[in-house]
Amino acid sequence: MPPSLACSSSTLSCAKQLCKATASSTSSRSFSTTPRTQQRTTRARRALYRWLATVGDNFRNPLPGSTNYLGAYNAQGKLKRVVEAEYKKANDKKMDKGNRDIPKDPSEALPPESARDRTPFPISRSFISQSVLSEEFRDEIWFRIMKQGKSVREVSVDMGVEMSRVGAVVRLKEVELEWKRIGKPLATPYAKAVMSMLPKTGFAEDAASERSLPERKLFSKPKRLMSDEERKKLRAANREQRAIEARGIEGRNFARHESINDLPVHSKTGQQIFHPTSESRQFTRADAAKVFDERLLPADDRIPHPEMVVRQRELVEGLSDEERMEKAQLRAAKAESKRLAEVAKQVAKDSKTKRVETPRWEFRFTEANVEDAGKTGRGHKGVGWRYGVPLYDRNKGLVKIPQSVE
Amino acid sequence: MSRKRFHGLKRVKVRMTWNKYNLYNLSRLRPRFSFGTFFQQKWAAKSASRAYHGEQIREKQWQRMFTSKLDAVIPMDYKYLAQHDGSELAAGRGSGLEQKRYDPNDPQMKEPRKKFKIPYMAQTFAPIERRLDVAVFRALFASSARQARQFVTHGSVKVNGQKMPYPGYLLNPGDMFQVEPERVLFATGQTKTAEQVKKGREKRKVQREVNARRHEKRIEARAQALKNAAAKIAAQKKEALAPTPRPILSEPMGDVEARKQRRSDLQALVTQVKALMENTKSPPSAKKKQELRKFTKDVRQTMASVNRKPIDDLDGDLAKLVDRLTLTTGKSLPAAKTLQPPTKTETAPASQSSSVVTTVSNAAKQRARKALQESRQNIIDESKPYATPWRPRPYMSAFAFVPRYLEVNHKICSAVYLRHPVAKAGLSEVPSPFAPDTLQLAFNWYLRRR
Repeated sequence: MPPSLACSSSTLSCAKQLCKATASSTSSRSFSTTPRTQQRTTRARRALYRWLATVGDNFRNPLPGSTNYLGAYNAQGKLKRVVEAEYKKANDKKMDKGNRDIPKDPSEALPPESARDRTPFPISRSFISQSVLSEEFRDEIWFRIMKQGKSVREVSVDMGVEMSRVGAVVRLKEVELEWKRIGKPLATPYAKAVMSMLPKTGFAEDAASERSLPERKLFSKPKRLMSDEERKKLRAANREQRAIEARGIEGRNFARHESINDLPVHSKTGQQIFHPTSESRQFTRADAAKVFDERLLPADDRIPHPEMVVRQRELVEGLSDEERMEKAQLRAAKAESKRLAEVAKQVAKDSKTKRVETPRWEFRFTEANVEDAGKTGRGHKGVGWRYGVPLYDRNKGLVKIPQSVE
Repeated sequence: MSRKRFHGLKRVKVRMTWNKYNLYNLSRLRPRFSFGTFFQQKWAAKSASRAYHGEQIREKQWQRMFTSKLDAVIPMDYKYLAQHDGSELAAGRGSGLEQKRYDPNDPQMKEPRKKFKIPYMAQTFAPIERRLDVAVFRALFASSARQARQFVTHGSVKVNGQKMPYPGYLLNPGDMFQVEPERVLFATGQTKTAEQVKKGREKRKVQREVNARRHEKRIEARAQALKNAAAKIAAQKKEALAPTPRPILSEPMGDVEARKQRRSDLQALVTQVKALMENTKSPPSAKKKQELRKFTKDVRQTMASVNRKPIDDLDGDLAKLVDRLTLTTGKSLPAAKTLQPPTKTETAPASQSSSVVTTVSNAAKQRARKALQESRQNIIDESKPYATPWRPRPYMSAFAFVPRYLEVNHKICSAVYLRHPVAKAGLSEVPSPFAPDTLQLAFNWYLRRR
């Protein structure tokens, strides 16, 4: 809105307005006396610029050696943890001897951050920026899987990383190596910058002993031929290692990244059930699961690492090392036979499909029988378009884009 | 109706972007929806939360995606499971043995762990996190969900190695998605100044011209070669009416692979020799250079006859060449080695300080080399669409987080969608800027008619 023409104020301010009017000759509105920049700046906009110049200035550039989220700063734009540390220091000083000025040491490192400092959204406390695997940690996972030939399950237990994450880390690392091999440029500066902004789970330094494992030595020098003695030593060391692992799962101390035994909440367990049973009955988890649903398994079998429970149970029962070894071998054999059966099944299925590769598609042909459509021609096993049977694939509300990529 | 502001200061909507306006709005956001009727509260909550969660999705589409089933997990202790079979929870009078109440004055009692509730309501918008465009944004490959969507529709995103142009593709656990690094660097890097833009334009123009000229030359050369070949064939036809069949034609097809293999072996020899010749650290002597040059020439000649000679002859030639190379390098390398040790013994007794100096200089050299390497990775190139050397865009650090349901490798701009996001006690994996009450109201809004 242009200012009113009638000037009720003193002559001084009137002169000011006149000056403004002459200065705003570039304005698109010739009748307006306020310059364009001033027309646009609302109070909200001024507040924004004020904020950006004060509190917001903290976020302009990343904080070196730390994360830099909104939740870590107070209303004055100071790091909460720094303020707290100063307050605590001052309090301590007060307790010691009188009130004295505390000389500030700018070279001092920032106090360690807490969960509160990792909240990017201040009013949603339940979302915390959780740590990601550091570069060294990922390299170590890749090394154990690809060079030491350990299983995903083993590495998951050893390093406290979910099995799916272990697999993903290895897969991504393989792609990275492939890019390096073919000379495709990596986004290294970007990766470095991002990693410096994120909280990280570092690879524990006390695992350095792990780095000097005989296997690692073997793989670091693959060209060197081993004598029989060395081979024997290596085997003995490996056996020892395995024995340690069999004895207790937490044989070694690692910085754990996440909880690996997460039990998904089953929808069937959401209801409250009044289930009368005799007082003398040993009503276990398995029985409770049965009450919720006939096919629901107990928690021991539904967690991702049921073998940890089994091993621990054997340990509690006080079985000897040999017995436990034997049982573990039996379990391994069972799992292997199961895996082989699955592979055989897949092979049998693949042998029945004929694949034809074209530049655009891969066609897969399988044998079909006309009789599958049944007498009425409406049998669910029937193939292709049949008269009188509706096809719903173009209907509203149905997904028409790919639902999975192999 | 005029288009409403995306990042308004008056009509505040928090968005999925790294914008500074958005950051300011986030800092002002207060958990207040306790006015008006229940319906009004729900409306306000859903309106605010939908402006952030999947703003690019049509309302009907979201309503179809919405589910009242909210995923949660409970971390289990394997030791507890091994020691107890569950019956201990029904011990005593039916609800477990009575525990002693915590007494803070008793030094023997441990402080009980703080119990957190599972924030189920934060899972309301979990289905949206499955979308490809949102996942690309969450993996820090784009500066906003809208930009991520553009990357997808413009074909810069691959899922499991295949181009996926649908932003609404719902990722399945285990899917790997990759974004072209150039697009990611553009999205997350600082923008160019007007001057840099102008320079880049000029540079690209020059490059275009050079490329066009090169292309013309290549076409000319090809035409010339074709002409020569035609003339040659015509001359041969004139000379001999019954030309002898070429051995290449008489060879069975299985040979082709073997011949390719021999050719690549020979090529490898050439590259080895080239590396020897171009080694600046220990340049070969003049005599050795001559030998190597002759060797390369011979290898080239053998390569030229790869398709004509019988394979056994080729193998013989190859073996001879390899022998020759090992001989030439073997002869000269020990000589170089025998030369080196005396120089070392000469310098070593001179003074210990000199060795210290050399080590220091070595460390400095290493540092310099590292710096050089880094700068080589992050070069100044005006033709790029972002400011070079690459630096993160302002205000990025306030938004830099990667939720746990993704595993990202930023070096290759690729990520794996591990599983659907879940809630844990006191923790939610769906990044949402809203208070739990707001999300609950929104959840209730979408529960209607269900």
